[in-house]
Amino acid sequence: MSGIGTGYDLSTTTYSPDGKVFQVEYACKAVENGGLAIGCKCKDGVVVAVEKLVQSKMLVPGTNKRIHAVSKHAGMAGTGLVPDVRTVVDRAREEAANYLSFYGDAIPANVLADRMAHYYHLFTLYWSVRPFGASVILATKDSNGYHMYVLEPSGECHKMNGCAIGKNKAAAKTEIEKLKFGEVLAKDCVKELARVIYKIHDEKDKDFECELGWICEDSKGEFRRVPKEVADEAIALAKAALEEDDDMDDA
Amino acid sequence: MEETPVDFLSIPVSTGTTILACAYRTGVVLAADSRTSTGAYVANRASDKITQICDNVWMCRSGSAADTQNVAAYVKRMVEEHAMERNGTGFRENESNDRAMMVDVRVVAKLTQKIAYENKEKLQAGMIIAGWDRVRGPQVYGIPLGGSMLEAPFSVSGSGSAYIYGYLDNTYKENMEREECEKWMTEAISLAIARDASSGGVIRLVTIHENGCEKQCVLPKDHKVCDGELEQVATTTTAMV
Amino acid sequence: MIPSRTSHSSSIGPGVVPRGADPAYDEEVKREYDLRKNIPHLGKGSKGRPFSIDPNVGVMTRTQTPYVTGTSVLAVKYKDGVLMACDTLACYGSTKRYKSIQRMKLVGKYTVVGFTGELSDFDYISTLLDELEMTDFCQDDECPRTPKEIYNYLVRVMYNRRNKFDPLWNSLVISGWDYVEKKPFLGCVGMIGQHYVDDHVATGFGNHLARPLFRESWKEEMTEQEAEKLLKSALLSCVMRDKQMMNKFQLSKITADGPGEISEPFAIDTRWGYENYVNPTKYAPGAW
Repeated sequence: MSGIGTGYDLSTTTYSPDGKVFQVEYACKAVENGGLAIGCKCKDGVVVAVEKLVQSKMLVPGTNKRIHAVSKHAGMAGTGLVPDVRTVVDRAREEAANYLSFYGDAIPANVLADRMAHYYHLFTLYWSVRPFGASVILATKDSNGYHMYVLEPSGECHKMNGCAIGKNKAAAKTEIEKLKFGEVLAKDCVKELARVIYKIHDEKDKDFECELGWICEDSKGEFRRVPKEVADEAIALAKAALEEDDDMDDA
Repeated sequence: MEETPVDFLSIPVSTGTTILACAYRTGVVLAADSRTSTGAYVANRASDKITQICDNVWMCRSGSAADTQNVAAYVKRMVEEHAMERNGTGFRENESNDRAMMVDVRVVAKLTQKIAYENKEKLQAGMIIAGWDRVRGPQVYGIPLGGSMLEAPFSVSGSGSAYIYGYLDNTYKENMEREECEKWMTEAISLAIARDASSGGVIRLVTIHENGCEKQCVLPKDHKVCDGELEQVATTTTAMV
Repeated sequence: MIPSRTSHSSSIGPGVVPRGADPAYDEEVKREYDLRKNIPHLGKGSKGRPFSIDPNVGVMTRTQTPYVTGTSVLAVKYKDGVLMACDTLACYGSTKRYKSIQRMKLVGKYTVVGFTGELSDFDYISTLLDELEMTDFCQDDECPRTPKEIYNYLVRVMYNRRNKFDPLWNSLVISGWDYVEKKPFLGCVGMIGQHYVDDHVATGFGNHLARPLFRESWKEEMTEQEAEKLLKSALLSCVMRDKQMMNKFQLSKITADGPGEISEPFAIDTRWGYENYVNPTKYAPGAW
C-alpha cells in the first residue's frame, strides 16, 4: 500500500481514483491470453472462427471445443479462461431454454445478448465474486435476420459486423476490417476467417487447431460447426496463402 | 337441478357466448355477441367480450367471466413486461417507437395457453387470441378448455358456436377482403344469436391490421334476419343516456 | 366395528368423514371407540381422525377429465423399420372440432411418438421432448438419443405424474430405429405408466379394433408393402367402428436410412357395399 493508485485492484467493489475497476481490466488481460476468436456478419448468416491453442501433443484432436451451440438458432465462440467460457455458455443455454419454455418461441437475438450482458455485469459488482476472464462472440438468428454480438468481462455488449477478441486481436481487426460485411456469402467468409486465423497465429505459440462455426442459410438457419469438407478446404486454402506470403517475404 | 329464472342468485356469472375470430388477407377480425347471463337472467346486455392485450393483439373470452377477465389481466401484464424487454433494449435497428407495444401474436397465445393449461382444473375459460404481426402476418389461435393451443384460419367458441359450425365450414373463404370478412362474421354471429339463448344483444367487431385496430358495434336492426324471426323495429338507434 | 366411510366429496377429497359432519355417526363411533380408549388419536381431546389430505396443500381435486382428444394410434414393425398411422382429428367431447392436427411427432432423427388422449397434455410432453432434443443438439456429439431411451424417459414421466395423482391423459406409441442395436423399436406407454414393447401396438379403441387383426395377420419379416396393407386394413376397421375417427390419416415410416418421415394426409378406400345399408331388414322381415 504505497503511493497513490495502489491497493485499488483487489476487488471490483472499489474504483481507483481515476475511475477504473482494475479487476475488470485484469480480466480483459486474461482474455488476451486465450487464442484468437473472430467473427463476421455475412449476407446470409454469421461465421465465427477460433484459434484453439493446443497445450500438449497428447490431447485428443478435435476435443475441448471453443465453439458451442447455445440452442438451435444461437451459438458462441469464446476465448480466455476456458472454464469461464463454459460457464457463460451454460448460462446462455439456460436463458435460451427458459425463454423458449415461457414464451414458446426462440429467444430474440437482442434479448439473449441483453440478458447475457446483465449476467456478465453481475460479476463486476460484488466483492465475493471474480469477473469472467472470458469474452464471447454470440452468433444468432431471429425473425429479424442474423446478428452478431460481442460480450466482454465488464458486461459491455456490442452489436458488431466484424470482430476479434483474444490474442493479437488488434492485428486480426485490421484484417477483418477489409472484409465486406453483409455482402460476402457465408461459404466464402469461412475461407476468409480461416485465412485470418492462420495469418495472425504467432509461430512462437504452440500448435493450434482452427475451429469454424456458422449459422447461415447453408446450415438451414441452425448454429452448426462448419461441415468437415468445407472447413478442410478453407484450412487448406489458408495454409497455401500463408506459404505464398512466406515465399514472397523470402524473395 | 331444474333451473328457475331466479336461480341467478346462486349461479356464477358466465359468458354463455358466441365468439369468433378469422384471418382475412391482410389482417384479422374478432367478433362477439354482448350477452352475459347468470342462469336465465341476462346479467349484462352490453358486455364487451373482446379484450385488448397489446397494440396488435386482442382476445375473445368465453366461459366464466371472472376467470377470463383475470387470465386476460395476467396475460396483459406479462406481455407488457415482455414488450419492454423485447423492444426496449436499444439493440434493434430500424425500429420506430410507435411499435413499442407490438408483440408477436404467437407469444401472447403461448402465455395464455400456459395459464390455461397449468390451471386447467380451476379455470372455466375458452379463449381466442388473434392479431397481426410483422413476422407471421394475421394469426388466429384457439385456446379451448383443457389448455391446448391451435392455430387456425378461423376459430369459434362459446355456447353459440355449436349452432354455426356447419355454416362457417360451408361458407368460409380463404384470403377474404376486410369488408367481406366482417360481413361474413356478422352473419355468423347473427345466426348463433338466432338459435342460442345464451347469446344476444349487439355484435361487437374488432379489426386488426398493419396500421392499427378499429372497434365496431352492429346493432340488431343490422343483423341478418333469420328464419322465424321478424325484422327488428328500432325507433332509437343512437345511444340512450 | 363400524367401517370408516370414505368420502368421495370433491370438496374434501379422498379421506374419512371429518368429525362433526354427521353427529349420529360420531356418536356411534364414540360408543365403539370408548371400548378401545387406548388408541391415542381417537381418545378424548383428539384433534380428529385419520385423514388423507396433504395438510400443507389443503383441499385439492385432481379429478381430471380430457377435453380435446385424439383417438387410436396404430403401429407395426416390419423387416426394415416401423410404420405408424393415426388420423388427424382432435375431438372436443364428441364434436369433431380440429380436423388437421398432426398427432405424430418426430423426435430427433430416429424416433416418432404418436399420441392418444388429451391434446394439451401431449403439447406439454412435446415441449419436454423438444427440450431433450435441444440438449442433445447442444451436446454436438453426433450421438442422438435412441428410441428406447426416449421410450424409457416417457415411461418415467407418465408414471411419475400418476404418482402425483395428476396423470397426463395420454397413451403414447414410440416407434423408431435403434441405430445401436440395428433393429426397429416399437413400444407403448399408458396414462398411468403401464408400458410394453411389442411387434405391433395400438392405443385407445384401436387396442380392441385393430390389435386382433394384427395378431391374426402380422408375421416376422414383413415387407413394407405388406405392413402398409395390414395397417390400412386396420385403419378401415377403426374408421368404420370408432366414432371419434375420421377418414384422414397420416403414416409415419422410420428405417435405418435416416430421418423418419411423416406422410401428407390421405384417405383410405372405404367400403359401403354392405347389404343392410340398402335393405336393413332383409334377413329379419318385420323387424325395425
